[in-house]
Amino acid sequence: MPQRKTLVSIVIFLVIGLHAVPVLYRSERGTLWPFMQWAMYKNSRKPGPIDTRQRRLLAISSKGATDTVTPHLVGLSITVLRQRYLVPIGTGDLSPAPELIDRLNRHRGDPVVELRLESETYTITDTGITRTDDPVVTYRAEVPGSR
Amino acid sequence: MSAGSMSRWVDRWNAYWFPPTPTLHLAICRVIAVAAQLLWFFPDLEEHRNLLRKNPDFIEPQLLVRAISAIIPREWLFTPDAFTVLYWVTIVAGVAALVGLFTRTSLFVFALGTWIFVAHLFSYGDRHHTEALFCIFLMLLALAPSGERLSVDAAIRRRRPLPNDAGGPSDTSDMAIWPLKVVHVLIAATYFSAGMSKLLHSGTRWLNGYTLQGHTFGDALERGHPAGIWLAQQHELAVALSFFTILLEVFFFVSLFLPRLAPLFFLGALGFQIGLYVSAGYDFFQHMVLLTLLLFFLYPAWWQSRLAK
Repeated sequence: MPQRKTLVSIVIFLVIGLHAVPVLYRSERGTLWPFMQWAMYKNSRKPGPIDTRQRRLLAISSKGATDTVTPHLVGLSITVLRQRYLVPIGTGDLSPAPELIDRLNRHRGDPVVELRLESETYTITDTGITRTDDPVVTYRAEVPGSR
Repeated sequence: MSAGSMSRWVDRWNAYWFPPTPTLHLAICRVIAVAAQLLWFFPDLEEHRNLLRKNPDFIEPQLLVRAISAIIPREWLFTPDAFTVLYWVTIVAGVAALVGLFTRTSLFVFALGTWIFVAHLFSYGDRHHTEALFCIFLMLLALAPSGERLSVDAAIRRRRPLPNDAGGPSDTSDMAIWPLKVVHVLIAATYFSAGMSKLLHSGTRWLNGYTLQGHTFGDALERGHPAGIWLAQQHELAVALSFFTILLEVFFFVSLFLPRLAPLFFLGALGFQIGLYVSAGYDFFQHMVLLTLLLFFLYPAWWQSRLAK
């Protein structure tokens, strides 16, 4: 029994102690699951109007079919989809659009030829919530032989 | 350090982690945790097959995935077909762990399979906190006598005791509480980390109400949680809940030193997690299950005494 307690004590030390690794070892912080850093929702907000932006990225195929670009459709996590594509395209940077179209077209017969980002901003006001539609951002792929 | 003082520390350590405890409690924890993982939190096979089909490489492979890839070629295990096999092996192990057949082995295989699925899901540039502590708890159950009761193993041992196992399965064990105690420490550490990172990164500005309103508004709107949309418009309430959040996260560790008050902390944390889900869809269901287990089985005297009255 004392030997078993010693072994379990080592396990206890390891399980608790390994949680310090992502805190101390910054470069590998995101890849040590289930030992994680727990800094969640740490950012704060200045006093002022509360607003939020809702975005939808639509993919339009050569035959006119429209699909919403979801993590499942593109085979990426929501975080990567947001960081790599939604945020840059939402700010008018269309440079990641060809890569996204390329990715979407890997597994489909009817190719995507256009991306359209629609978004709206919701703001809390004294009288309730207001909605403002943002300008639509469109990217159209160059189809070979279309010139 | 003298031998006497060393011995006192060992005694204290043993008294904290290894007090004699009913094995029934750990068995109930096993049944609840395995059932929850099997029926509620089990991986979505299609999600994994989709990731494997659409990504020739991992984006940010987790340590476990890297370790497996170093031993087994990627094209052997990390394929849609191999993951389908792994999925069913994990389910079979889970059912065996639930009924307590070859309990330690089946729990280990079940926990390992679950770890592989979660580590794989988080190897594409995204990771979440909800699964981590629960998966650790599943693995700890495999190292503890969680099959001493409510199990096929125990029934077999009662019918056909082994020569060196005269008493059959035991009703109490000094190895039957440490997994819950580890979870208690880990929850305290993770809450403390979450609370302190808010204070160190944002200072007291995190308590201004606007921060909580902003976080809640965006997520509640996206996930369709009307309670959160309403909460985001209540500034004074948001200030009060911000204080509650920081106080709970930073001071939850006090429950480690005050066992009599620990159930109140568990209830507070349970309410906190439920509130986060209702308001903005932060689905820490695994934490809710763990907190419920702590509430009923870490210091059971508090509810047993109330029932006895």
